[in-house]
Amino acid sequence: MSSFPTTPIAKLTGHAGIVHCVSYSAGSQSYILTGSSDRTIRLFNPSKAPVSSTTPAAGLVNKYTAHGYEVLSIAVADANDKFVSVGGDKTVFYWDVQTAQTIKRWTGHAGRINCCAFGGDGDSVVASGSFDGTVKIWDTKSTNYKPIMTLEEAKDSVSDVWVGDGEILSGSVDGRIRSYDFRMGMCNVDVVGYPVTSLSVSKKGTECLVSSLDSTIRLMDRDNGQLLKAYRDDGYVNKELRVKSTLGFNDSVVVSGSDDGMVYAWDLLEGEVLHKFRHSEMKEVKGKKAADGTRNKKDVVGAVAVCKTRKEWASAGGDGNVIVWGMDA
Amino acid sequence: MAYKRPRATSPSTAQKRSRGAEGGAQNVKWGTPLPVDEDNDDGSFVPVWKQTVTDDKGRRRLHGAFTGGFSAGYFNTVGSKEGWTPKTFVSSRSNRIKDPAKTATQRPEDFMDNEDLAEAAESRQLETAQSFAAVGSNGKTERDDLFGLMLTDEDTMAVKLLQKMGWRRGQGIGPKIRRQAHLEEGLGIVDSKETSSSEHSFAPKDTRIVSFIHEDKPSRKGVGYQSGAQALPKPGEDDTEDTAPLALPFLDRSHKPQALKKPAQKKTGFGVGILNDNGSDDEDPYEIGPKISFNKVIGEKKTKKGSKFAKPNTADRVVFIKKGSSKPTAITRISHDGRPPLRRFVLASTTSTLPSRERFPPPSIPPGWTSLKSSAANLQGRQFQSVADAAKSSTLDAKARASLLGEAALPGKSIFDYMSKESRDRIAAFTGKQNLPPARGEVFPSNNQGSTAAQQKSLWSFVPNLDKDVAAAALAKGATGWMPYGEDPKKRERYVGFLELRAGTKTNLPERAPDETVSDWAKELEEFAHAAQVFKPVQGLMASRFTSSTSSGQSSGNATGDSLLRTPAAKPEDPAEQAAKLGMYGPMTRSVIPFYPTRLLCKRFNVKAPVDAPADDYGSKTQEAVSKADMDRLVHDALTRGSTLQRPSWMNQQEGAHAETPAPTTETVAAPVDVETNDALTQERPPEDVFRAIFGDDDDD
Repeated sequence: MSSFPTTPIAKLTGHAGIVHCVSYSAGSQSYILTGSSDRTIRLFNPSKAPVSSTTPAAGLVNKYTAHGYEVLSIAVADANDKFVSVGGDKTVFYWDVQTAQTIKRWTGHAGRINCCAFGGDGDSVVASGSFDGTVKIWDTKSTNYKPIMTLEEAKDSVSDVWVGDGEILSGSVDGRIRSYDFRMGMCNVDVVGYPVTSLSVSKKGTECLVSSLDSTIRLMDRDNGQLLKAYRDDGYVNKELRVKSTLGFNDSVVVSGSDDGMVYAWDLLEGEVLHKFRHSEMKEVKGKKAADGTRNKKDVVGAVAVCKTRKEWASAGGDGNVIVWGMDA
Repeated sequence: MAYKRPRATSPSTAQKRSRGAEGGAQNVKWGTPLPVDEDNDDGSFVPVWKQTVTDDKGRRRLHGAFTGGFSAGYFNTVGSKEGWTPKTFVSSRSNRIKDPAKTATQRPEDFMDNEDLAEAAESRQLETAQSFAAVGSNGKTERDDLFGLMLTDEDTMAVKLLQKMGWRRGQGIGPKIRRQAHLEEGLGIVDSKETSSSEHSFAPKDTRIVSFIHEDKPSRKGVGYQSGAQALPKPGEDDTEDTAPLALPFLDRSHKPQALKKPAQKKTGFGVGILNDNGSDDEDPYEIGPKISFNKVIGEKKTKKGSKFAKPNTADRVVFIKKGSSKPTAITRISHDGRPPLRRFVLASTTSTLPSRERFPPPSIPPGWTSLKSSAANLQGRQFQSVADAAKSSTLDAKARASLLGEAALPGKSIFDYMSKESRDRIAAFTGKQNLPPARGEVFPSNNQGSTAAQQKSLWSFVPNLDKDVAAAALAKGATGWMPYGEDPKKRERYVGFLELRAGTKTNLPERAPDETVSDWAKELEEFAHAAQVFKPVQGLMASRFTSSTSSGQSSGNATGDSLLRTPAAKPEDPAEQAAKLGMYGPMTRSVIPFYPTRLLCKRFNVKAPVDAPADDYGSKTQEAVSKADMDRLVHDALTRGSTLQRPSWMNQQEGAHAETPAPTTETVAAPVDVETNDALTQERPPEDVFRAIFGDDDDD
């Protein structure tokens, strides 16, 4: 991967609060769903919202309002017709994209829900990880209001969950990654040592990328729990906030937001910082100087998402805007 | 009330004169006259029809007839134009107003104006309630003094007692009388021989008892004086009227004007009206002078009873009257108990002249006389003595009493028996007592003084018994994290040592704290045994429900330190965490736990379920009492109870320490107890100044 998209090509505005999650739609990945602390979920078409446009909420396709609290995570089904969203209201919302209505709402968690993911054969289950330290697995096919299963091994808040083929990964604030294998009936517990904030798995499924609150992102071997690579930088700060990190561009780059409003891109193999971006100024930062002193509370990049089909990625910040970065025209 | 300035009803002469002068002389006016103020009340004459009337609040009103004129309601009365608050009364068949009291809410006050209300308020007086009676008041006294507040109008205790004994009001007092019924009331006495058909027992007749109570005479008149206005009713005449059941003056509170009977009409004064004329001609109505009745007939005595219109034949008849029954009326008079007086007794005509009994002073006791029978003085002189005082005053001690009773001396020995003479003298010098028992200087019995092995053996007897499994269980409980004496690590070590001894893993004597006496040590061991019983772990499934507290212990060590903050006990570091902190990810940081996906989950993931997957779905793990994994772990724990791997670090350390010194059972020597010397006794006595400085008086020279 020689080139990394560094030019902002779209700016999605309209949220009144911090954007906690950003997610590309499935398939061609031409749409972006954003969830914010203003309790709304917005569906954008980034191609209709160039940076130069001045119309308010350019590219907005739809708005989903049912949450009573902040929206913390969104997962889109493969068929693109449904998505789930979770947040502060301890409820998993299962949405129909077209009608902007909830099909189901699953309650059962005792606390804020931090993360959600589709899984299973034909996206038949939804996994949600909550502040109450459990991962609950819900059935989208049946009308049962109870979870299929509750994984309550975690000793602390579950911050991220990933569902693969016959396995579920959960990262928790107790500093552990639990890998539940349905086939083997085993659960591998890997100790990271620091509260885990983000979890993503490579395409092959043999490595997982773990963000933890020691300002380090680690690439772990899932087979034996060994550390493959650690990604750090002098300016990279992740000590108190939940900041998403992700693998992208055919698993060649590690992209992560940070507590101070910067976005970092590391080379996966080398572990070198490729690019640094300042989200609020929509530009790349060169040189050693990472963050200037003018850091305010809203200056945080809580979520990043990388498009799987194009050379494009998005960063969501505390100012309520989502910047889509692409290649030069 | 209206407050009006009094005005002259007509113009005074001066005003008239000035008015007349006004017409004649031409006065010069200067300036602008003040506007005429209607209400200006400067005292000048205003005709009545021009006068303004105001009420007490200064409002210009007409008033009632007595306070200035007529005034209709509204302004001066209640607050509506109609004069009162109009109310509607609606009652229909379907909605009938049942309670008329609720609807009739108009009171007289609703129609009264301010003046009426003020008058009503003024006319109210503070009065005592009817049920109040003064202390000692009778019906005659007015209730205008403070005593009226004191007593309620209730029966006296005597009346209550009488009523309890069966007496009723209106009855007389005394045993019941068998007699015939008096069917006609007014008759005095019916001859008992007349009919003896039906006799009943009746209560005695209510009669007035002669009062021997000498009330203070209300007047200053002489004894026996009867003024014309105050004809006291005679007791015999009172019997017929049933007013006073009991002549108890404090009870007699009937308001009948008993004593204030209308005095007999006295025919004094000038002139006699035609109403006074009783048709008699022999009285001279215009007679002036002392009303002395003279016998105007000389010779034959005219009987008092004889009427003027008596028949002439009866009047002239000579009747011999016995002296004893000189008063024929006395026979018919009844005594106060309703019976005729005894034979040959005559009822007294008056009881008011009872001679007051003369009171004599008590005889003066001669000086120097003492009664033989005054036993109270003797009793007072003797002092009562309690048993305890008697025992105090006794000079006998236990031995003397024993010898008196003939008891054999107990086999126990005194401390002085083992004391040397010097020690005993020193004690005697300290305490100042010279009657201490003599020092025998005996040697100790042989069972207290032996080899160290024997001592050990005796010390072993202090170690309490404890069941082996209880001790093992308590140890295992400690292994899972909790154990008593967390605040005192050394004591906890001793406790663990004791438990290990009783669990059979150790054989040496439980160790003893450096400055601990044998008795304290024995006590502590007893306490350990008890603690092991008490803190025996909850077995099995129950134990898995609880987790040990992480913030216990370590308090005493920090409390003595400077910081007031209590730092939680450092959690034993997980080796996996340590490895992770060191970056040694891999096998060190990985652990594998069994996991049982539900069948439905496996189906949804299109995965073949593991063999021992839970039977069905929606049975989340929280609903199982104990999962299979927990069960396995419990079994494993039970089999390898208290394995060293799971023990806390402090237990492991001690284990290591014991391992270093491999159980030299016989070498552990108990602290030597030298029975021959006593440091407390052989110490040099401090100088006398010290004692004086502490205990002596300040002004002691």
